[in-house]
Amino acid sequence: MPKWAMVIDLDKCTGCEACVVACKAENNIPFSDPEQAALGRSIGWIEVMTMIEGEYPQVKTRFIPRPCMQCDNPPCTKVCPVFATYKNEDGLVAQIYERCIGCRYCTNACPYTVKYFNWFEPSWPTEMQRSLNPDVSTRSKGVVEKCTFCHHRLQKAKEVAKAEKRDLREGDYVPACVQTCPAAAMYFGDLDDPQSKVRELSKNSRAFKLLEDLGTEPKVIYLTEGDWYGARKS
Amino acid sequence: MQAMNRREWIKLTAGAVSGLALSSCTDRKLVPITSFEEDWPDYAEKWIASACMQCEGGCGVLARVVDGGVVKLEGNPLHPINRGRLCPLGQAAPQLLYNPDRIKTPMKRVGGKGANKWVKLSWDEAIQTIADNLTDLRQKGEPQSLVVFDGARRGLMQNLVQRFCDAYGTPNHINTNQPDGMTLAHDLAQGLREPFAYEFEKTEYVLSFGCGLLDGWRSPVGVARAYGYLRQERPGAKAKIVQVERRFSTTAARADEWVPINPGTEGALALGIAYVLIREDLYDLEFVREYTLGFDDWKDEQGVTHMGFKTLVLRDYRPDDVSGVTGVAVDTIIRLAKEFAHSKPGVAIADANATSFSNGTYTALSIHALNALKGNIDLPGGVLAEEPVPFKPLPEIKPDAVAERGVTMPRIDSGQGTTLGLLASPLEMAAANIVSTKPYPVRVAFFYNSNPLFSTVLESRLGQALDSVPLVVSFSSFLDETAQHADLILPDHSFLEKWQDSIAPPLSGTPVLSIAQPVIDPLYDTMHTGDFLLKLGAAIGGTVADALAWGDFKELLKFSVEGIYEAERGAVFSELSDEAYLREMQQRGWATNEFSSYDEFWEQLVAKGGWSGLYHSYGRWGKVLNTPSHKFEFYSQRLKGELETRARLNGKSVDGVLEDLSVESRGDTALLPHFEPIKTRVSDSDYPFFLNPFNSLALASATAANLPWIQETAGDHVGVKWDSWAEINPATAAELGIEDGESIWIESQRGRLKTKAKLHPGSMPSVVSVPSGLGHKALGRWAKDRGSNPNSIIDVDHDGLSGLPVWFSTRVKIYKA
Repeated sequence: MPKWAMVIDLDKCTGCEACVVACKAENNIPFSDPEQAALGRSIGWIEVMTMIEGEYPQVKTRFIPRPCMQCDNPPCTKVCPVFATYKNEDGLVAQIYERCIGCRYCTNACPYTVKYFNWFEPSWPTEMQRSLNPDVSTRSKGVVEKCTFCHHRLQKAKEVAKAEKRDLREGDYVPACVQTCPAAAMYFGDLDDPQSKVRELSKNSRAFKLLEDLGTEPKVIYLTEGDWYGARKS
Repeated sequence: MQAMNRREWIKLTAGAVSGLALSSCTDRKLVPITSFEEDWPDYAEKWIASACMQCEGGCGVLARVVDGGVVKLEGNPLHPINRGRLCPLGQAAPQLLYNPDRIKTPMKRVGGKGANKWVKLSWDEAIQTIADNLTDLRQKGEPQSLVVFDGARRGLMQNLVQRFCDAYGTPNHINTNQPDGMTLAHDLAQGLREPFAYEFEKTEYVLSFGCGLLDGWRSPVGVARAYGYLRQERPGAKAKIVQVERRFSTTAARADEWVPINPGTEGALALGIAYVLIREDLYDLEFVREYTLGFDDWKDEQGVTHMGFKTLVLRDYRPDDVSGVTGVAVDTIIRLAKEFAHSKPGVAIADANATSFSNGTYTALSIHALNALKGNIDLPGGVLAEEPVPFKPLPEIKPDAVAERGVTMPRIDSGQGTTLGLLASPLEMAAANIVSTKPYPVRVAFFYNSNPLFSTVLESRLGQALDSVPLVVSFSSFLDETAQHADLILPDHSFLEKWQDSIAPPLSGTPVLSIAQPVIDPLYDTMHTGDFLLKLGAAIGGTVADALAWGDFKELLKFSVEGIYEAERGAVFSELSDEAYLREMQQRGWATNEFSSYDEFWEQLVAKGGWSGLYHSYGRWGKVLNTPSHKFEFYSQRLKGELETRARLNGKSVDGVLEDLSVESRGDTALLPHFEPIKTRVSDSDYPFFLNPFNSLALASATAANLPWIQETAGDHVGVKWDSWAEINPATAAELGIEDGESIWIESQRGRLKTKAKLHPGSMPSVVSVPSGLGHKALGRWAKDRGSNPNSIIDVDHDGLSGLPVWFSTRVKIYKA
């Protein structure tokens, strides 16, 4: 079974937020109003963390896009009292909204803080309802939601492959954030496929994972900004 | 739909799976994502190629249309600018299309001007009303009293507006997208009044003077792709990117090196670098000798000796002097010069961020002089001039006597006879002349794709001007600040509902034309403004109608594009491998026409999303050096000519004109790249900070502020949503007793605004930065009263020489609110 993984090259990332908006569009993520936003209740399944380091004039900014890490050993699933969140047959951490009781144990257990509680009933002006994605259900107030690696796209890709009587190929299934990334800083594929780009990049000396020492075994791999000018590649 | 692999498989999906319908969006059931196999929604899906018009970038899109609704945009994988990728604005386009604040029908003002009360109107009534007014003006012999403020981007809509004006008889086609200082430098030094093109993929060194490469400049996705490629994909040595800027922007953050610089001294730094290049013999001797004018001291045909650029630079721009002015350390200046010298090809690049000061034209000339010193002109990875799209020229118009006379009248924004604007016409001039009704009164004003009451510093002056014009027509899709002053609002379609073309901003020297087709039928009773102008022409009749004899804009588009088919150059967008093949063949002189007829070409062009010129021919000196001397002119004869013309018309000496234009230097120096200190209106002690209203990618579109997704993400880097902020140096803030997140007033001598302080270690101690694009007083429910508009407190000033507005030298004080 494929091991779906994402690689994000921080040396290429420009912090443009295209991944963030593409995700909102793909996954019917409701927008907050200013008051809810001020309370920290905006939802973004992927967000660009910005870390500003140093003092003027020696300053560095790091942009770190942060989706769900799709841990192989996820802390969030273990605390769910109602089996609403679990690791599904594709190795992705799934959330069954109908079953979620909104206790937010998982939200607190996630060391990456990527599980989001619906504090308000999602709503769209009538006109905008035309642009909701029919492949993704909307959620209601009181449940927790999170990045699915655009699992519905995997479902579709599998259907297509089945109809064409073939296996999934590299590139058949790509989440919305990866597809849109302007700097091509994001990669997606099967970590167990020896030919895949993500496999190759995961072996790169720049590769690291967030909070790896917690034993969560994240399937999002970062490549650090590296070899600045002066350390030229030969 | 058309045969595209991607689309085919997606079509297949829609056919292959069927199941329970989630009938409407409102009563959609909650479906756990794990149960899709059983519960797949049933819908009809199409993917249609079009072009994104959120900014000028010209990206190609594939619109996912489900049951007649636009659900999502993806980048068109075949498009050479964005190759399947899109920026946040492109991704947010469905929120523009389905924006509840769109104007849904033509509207007529009731009550007083600016009262913002409207009643519905039919298109026939609208056309008749305007045609009657315009016909009346022509009968009175005053067609010049129509002014068209046109914010159309590169493409045929501009040509159509120009044609309408020519046939009707007005000289007043005013492009509200004014050229930037670098474009004027291109004109003065090379005789080309067009933006520079760059090939970042092939360059070794980018010396950027504040250019917002990753902050919404030109084609954000195109630049980001080039950036990603330079960072990790290009084989061999990494290119170096240096950002010289007064703000720690995204570009600065992602550059290899950030060099903070005192505002308005970018030109001095460029000349300091030039000093090192010349002093150390690091410039391209052959290029300078063969292809430039005015480097060494020289004698003209009359035997008069002129000072050369070399003499000037060695005299005035020693790095230690330059360091004092710019705040950049001497060893940094020397190191940058040596890096630039040893990395060929490299580019010295800038945008309005560096040139929007009172000394902006000379700053632009000084920066571009570095490209000439290193001979980085029209070679791979250097500074290029783009080749034009081979449109078929529109047939010659035959204006009647009224129109012929009208177009020879002085323009309403002419700086002639004044102390303003030698090279471009300031919008301020138009506002002032409309109010004073000199040289003639303006009776009718059109506003297309522009909202200057928000986007310029002229809010009150333009507002006053508009209220004195009897008939103001806006084609806006939103009730924006300018539309609120209109008498008629005739809403255009949104970009996913209309035929349009877009020439991408020059990124490679190779032209790229995107074709936007409607992906759905118009949602409301709106009309393509191009169609409107054609109908209006027909209603006016006579020679005006003859000049505009196309049924609709699509017909005009199809007519013009035939020139591309006939030129047999370039290619309809195609897979990378096909593109490489076609490029190779054409460069070797083979014809590659794959189409049996123009109709077939057109069909493919629309299906694939556009056309690309494929390759650039380098070293076309005859075209690239279009000056009187056929050389790159350090000593600008074009500038000399302009000054002499103005002197003659105004009955003054050249020195007198220079004085009028607030240029300090005289003689040869005034015609050479040099540095003059910027002028500010007030003293440092009363107003200790520079206000820096910065541009950002998220807010690069005029209507971005009314898109909730953009409001949620535009300030993410500083942790702000739905609001403006001011970036302040932490030490400065501590001195002022201001804490992070506190409300503050920023006050200039013109006014003050309130916003939130964000302490940012990347802020220069002397600069406070506020984003441009927020703080609307109109536009829509999500834009109105969110954040503050820095334009409201910016001093109204100009670079005298160019006439372009100064954005970045307003001095302010800051205090707690």
